[in-house]
Formats: sequence, C-alpha cells, structure tokens
Amino acid sequence: MSDFRGQTPLKGSFASMRAKIASIEAGGRRDSESLPFGDPRIDERLPGGGLPLGRWHEIGGTGLEVETAAAPTAFTALLAAPLARRGEVVWVLRRDDLCANGLAGLGFPPQRLIQVCARDEAEALSVMEDALSTVGVAAVVGEVETADLTAGRRLQLACEKRRTTGFLIRRRPYGGPAKREATGSAAATRWRIASAPSEPPLGEFGLGAPRFEAVLERCRGGRTGAWLFEAQNAYSWEKTDVAHPLRLVAELGDRQLAPAQPLRRVA
Amino acid sequence: MRRLAGVSFEAAALGLHPGQKATDALALVPELVTAEAEPEADAAALTALADWCVRFSPAVAINAPDGLFLDVTGVDHLWDGEARMLADFRRRLAANGLPFRCAIADTPGAAWALAHFGEEDAIAPPGGQAPLLEPLPPAALRLETETWAQIERLGLRKVGQLMAIPRGPFARRFGRAALARLDQALGREREALTFRRPPTPWFARLAFAEPISAPEDMARVTADVTARLCARLEAQGQGARRFELAFHRVDGKALPLAIGLSLPGRDARRIAKLFAPRLETVDPGFGIEVVTLTGHDVEPISGRQARLDNAREATVAEGLAPLVDRLVNRLGEARVWRSVPVESHVPELAAGRARPLAPPPPARPWNREAPRPARLFRRPEPVEAVMALTPDDPPTQFRWRGQLHRVRRAEGPERIGEEWWKGAIEDVRVGHARDYYRVEDEAGARFWLFRAGLYGDPQTPPKWWMHGLFG
Repeated sequence: MSDFRGQTPLKGSFASMRAKIASIEAGGRRDSESLPFGDPRIDERLPGGGLPLGRWHEIGGTGLEVETAAAPTAFTALLAAPLARRGEVVWVLRRDDLCANGLAGLGFPPQRLIQVCARDEAEALSVMEDALSTVGVAAVVGEVETADLTAGRRLQLACEKRRTTGFLIRRRPYGGPAKREATGSAAATRWRIASAPSEPPLGEFGLGAPRFEAVLERCRGGRTGAWLFEAQNAYSWEKTDVAHPLRLVAELGDRQLAPAQPLRRVA
Repeated sequence: MRRLAGVSFEAAALGLHPGQKATDALALVPELVTAEAEPEADAAALTALADWCVRFSPAVAINAPDGLFLDVTGVDHLWDGEARMLADFRRRLAANGLPFRCAIADTPGAAWALAHFGEEDAIAPPGGQAPLLEPLPPAALRLETETWAQIERLGLRKVGQLMAIPRGPFARRFGRAALARLDQALGREREALTFRRPPTPWFARLAFAEPISAPEDMARVTADVTARLCARLEAQGQGARRFELAFHRVDGKALPLAIGLSLPGRDARRIAKLFAPRLETVDPGFGIEVVTLTGHDVEPISGRQARLDNAREATVAEGLAPLVDRLVNRLGEARVWRSVPVESHVPELAAGRARPLAPPPPARPWNREAPRPARLFRRPEPVEAVMALTPDDPPTQFRWRGQLHRVRRAEGPERIGEEWWKGAIEDVRVGHARDYYRVEDEAGARFWLFRAGLYGDPQTPPKWWMHGLFG
C-alpha cells in the first residue's frame, strides 16, 4: 500500500492505477477471477471482463416478483450453473418453494445443490456467511429481503476467505410490510431482473427459450447497462457445450436516459 | 394389611398363593417363613438378567414385573434351531437356580400366553400359534382384570371361543383394548416392545470437587470431556455419528444434549463447538457435579493425516461435512436437504428430500424435457376470471393476485392424472386430472396454470389454479 501512496501516477497510466486499486480491493491478492459471458457487449463493462468471482452479487426483481422472485431465481440459477461444476452450491431459502426439477430444466445440476431453509432474515444471512467460508462450496445463493452495509461487508469478508461467490436474491416475505431499502451496499454488482417475452423460432408454436431483461444497476469497477438475455439449452436434452448458459440477445438502452417503462417495447 | 407377594414351589404345594393375606397364610401354615418383598431389588435383578440374556439375542425387552421378551428372529441358527436354543437357555438358567417358564412364538403376545398357560417349553411353528392358543384360558391374552372377569362371567373359558366371535361385536362388548390384545397374540397387529439398550462402551465422565454453574465453566468442561472421549476414539481408529452430553445436577437431575454428525467423526474441537450454542439452554440450578459424554453409532474411520495447511487438499470430510453438521444441529434435520428425483408425474411429488451427504442414490436423471417452474407453490393458488376460447384451449386471460394478465403465448395442455394405484380403487375418478398450461403474458412473465376437473362433469366442475412461476 505504501508504494501506492508514494508514487504519483503518471499521465495515462490509468490502467495500472486501476489494477492497483483492484488489487487493494481484493485484499492484496492478484488472482481475482471472473466468469465471462462470452460477449464483448457485456464483458467489457464488467471489471476483469466477466462476472467477478469471489465477491457477492445482489439480484432483485420488479413488481410482484419482489415477493415471488421467479425471474431472479431463474437468472441466478443460470449465472451459478457454471460454478456448480467446481463444487457444491448452497441455496438458503426462507420459503421452500424452490423446484429442483425446474432448475434441472434450466440446466442447473440439482445434484450439486444443498438447500437450507432458514427461519428468519438474520439466520439466513449467518448461514450464507457460514457456507461462503467453507471449503468445497463454489457458490452460495441466499434469499434475503435486504442486506445493510454491515451485513454486506461481512458477506464480502466471508467470500474472500475461500474465493466463493455469493448471490443474494432480494425477496420480501409474503404479507409483511416492506422494509426500507438499505442505502449503501457492499455488493460487487446489483442486478434487476424481469422476465421478457420469448421469441420462438419462426413457424413454431408455444413458448421460446426463456428471456430475461437484466439491468445492471451498480457495478464496482465497471459500468452499468441493460441487456436482454436468453437461456440457451433450457428444457432440452441436447447437450450442446455452451460457453455460458445465458446468451446475450441485445443491448438495451442506457437506463439513465430511458423513460420509466421503455424496455417492454424493445423486446 | 400384609399380603403375600410371591410364594415358593413348596408353599404353593401347601395351597398358598400370591395376593393371600399374610395372616391367613400363617394360620394355614404356622411354620411359614416370610421375608419382606423388595420390588426395587427384584427390578434390578431382572435388569441384570436382561443384560445377561444379550448372549442369546441383542434385543431384550423387560416385561415387568417378572418377564423378559427376547427377539430371537434370525439368531436361532447359531444353536441349530429353536429347540436347541431353548434347551441351552433352560440349562444355563437352571444352573443359576432360577425357576422359570419359557416359550417361543411368532408374536410376543402368543409367547407370553404359552409361557404362562401353555405346555412347558412350547414352541409355536411359524404362523401356527392359533391352534396352540385355542385351549388356553382368556387370561392368557394379558387382559385387564375387569375385561377378564366379564369374559369369565359370560362362560367363555377358552381363547378359541373368543376367536370365534366376530370382531365388531367383540370390540363393542369387551373394548378395543381386548381386541388389540387378541390381534397382537395372533400377529394381526404389531406390538411395540421397548428393548433394553446395552450401555455404550464409548463413555467419558468428569466429576468436580465443587459444583460448577458458570457458562464459561460449562463450555470448558464440555471441551475437556469431549477431548477425553475423542482421544479414546482416535486410539482405536473409531468415529461416532451421535454424541450425547449430560449434565448431572446436584439435585439429581440429568440434563441431556445431543448432536449428530453426517459423517462419523472424532474431532474434539469441532464436536465441542457443535455443543457450544446449546449450552445456554442448560439450567445449572444449584450446580453441576458430573458431566458425562457418550458416543453412539460408532464405526471405524480411516485415520486421516492432519492436512499440511494446504487449502486445495481439503475434501468433503473437512469442508462440507462440518458445514452440514453445523446447519443440521442449529436448524434441525428437516431444514437442510438435497433434492433427489422421484419417479412420479405429480409435480409436487417429483422431488424427494435426502440428507445432504447421504450416498447418492442410483443415478436417475432429472427430467429436463417437460418444463417445470423454478418456483413451485406448495399450495396452488386460485386463479379467477379465466377466459378460454374452447374448453381445451389455454386461457386467453386470467386474474391472479388481483392482477389481470393477458396471455400472449401458451403451451399445453399437459395432462397429469392422479396416482390411482396408490389409493383405494373406489376413490378413483376420471375427473381427478389436471391439465397444465405454460403461458406467457404480455409483459413476458411465464406461469404454470392448471385446470382441475372436466367440463360437463357435474361432480368435478373445472377450476383454475396457479401452481408455479417460471420466471
């Protein structure tokens, strides 16, 4: 850290300065990994060219989904599916309505999933922390209404212990009054996910592959954006070796400039 | 009033019997020698005898005040048959000077009846206890005194006569308990016996000169007693799956705590840590003078080298197993699970729960073809204002949770019938079927709806339900 203070950054050496900041943020380790989506339209906005691993990510929904959290669940399962190859995934629930069959259909291996049903919010957070700092766990998904700065920082420290990746699905318990949203967040990224109308191939009936509108609301060391994703390989036996189960279909407009409900029409 | 609790063979020959007034007995036999009855000592002796009987069968149940049940299923071949086993049993008991009667039968009830009222050393052949029970008196069924007296009053002197009475009138007249006893004797109903468990040899104990009660002291003695037992386990290459810790208070009460491990273990620090959050539930009262720890389900585990501080070498045993143990002991076993596929078409039954670290069942793949939602409601929620063009068409719009959804795309129906082979055949109806539709509304939200019941069937009018969300 001393060399960072002592040295004046030269003009144009922003890249090296960024790298230094990243290494400080990663607790002095330089092996910060990331999981690329395989499409430059999103990867170049994310720090390290992909979804940062060894950090935790916040994923929320819109409208009714704040309580049911179906689209965030499907999106998280797709994000975590590549990680499930490296180790177990622990999913901390508040309501046990997660359907293993449905996750299998999306391409997430339920045989690598340990489900835990916590009794309250504090317990869910502490179980997440415990699981994040365990050897053999590749990713932890938790369903929590909100995580304040302290809880977020604790999750981050737990992530750093074993380079485990955390996903926090923001989900309000049924019937309860809404809690105030925490102002700050220690999350590496914050997403807002909504289902988008599917586009089946021409001439086919029924529904196409599931599509999601993903708005990246916050991104540490990167830039925000909005994209339309499609789940590849969902509900089929055909095992095509895809780089990432999420395929980027289109980039959506800048969310700051867009009016309140523009994204529906784009898709 | 003093009564006789038990009599010797010689006294019985003189006409004395248990329950007789002591004064009457002394009047009949003036030279009678009596001793005080000691029920506690008798019970202790019976317990000791039960422990001794473990040489014949691992499952021994005490039938107070003077009986023992031995479950000899699958052990008689060690003696070349039940008759030889019984002969050996008799010889060994007789060598100890104990008078006794015994019998072997399929059910505890029949064995009890034959031992008390049947021939000497009766052995009922498998499934053949009924003919042997028929000539016995009704008292052989272990009935309540009043029931027994009533049966005698009605002139029924044999079990065979009771067996001839139809079940309905029998239960009405003599009560359900009597019918249950008859069924238990004939093997039509199961009887639960409380088998005596031999004390585990994996036992550690710490006694204190002064009673302790401070929480930090309790934590320390927990660590000490765990270390003591785990050192023994380690020396013998064993690990235990369950540990029971008991704090014995000054007032004689024992407060037990139990933890379970998903894999057998003997890591003292880890086990003490699992006990730590529970210690505050223990009320030390006036102080704790003894703490004991027992290990159960002990099995050999391979001695593992303590790892050379290399995180990559870590295995399931070092990472996942302690995590699962912590979670199970904190939240309860029902709250930590791994889903396993079950062969069922009914969506809510298609996923079973297994213990997280149980060996995986024979690989049965998850069905990926049929789309299933990411969130499956435990109880389907009613859907209103459903509009469909024709009865078998998917809905074109519906109202769920107060919001109207217009359907843009739909798939279906996928008809899922009830599992008629599981219930009674009379309850099976054609209308017990669900037609599932996967629909997408204009905003892109994907739902899993089903219609229960059929159009045109007055018994099961169609009704729409929301069963899950795809997201």
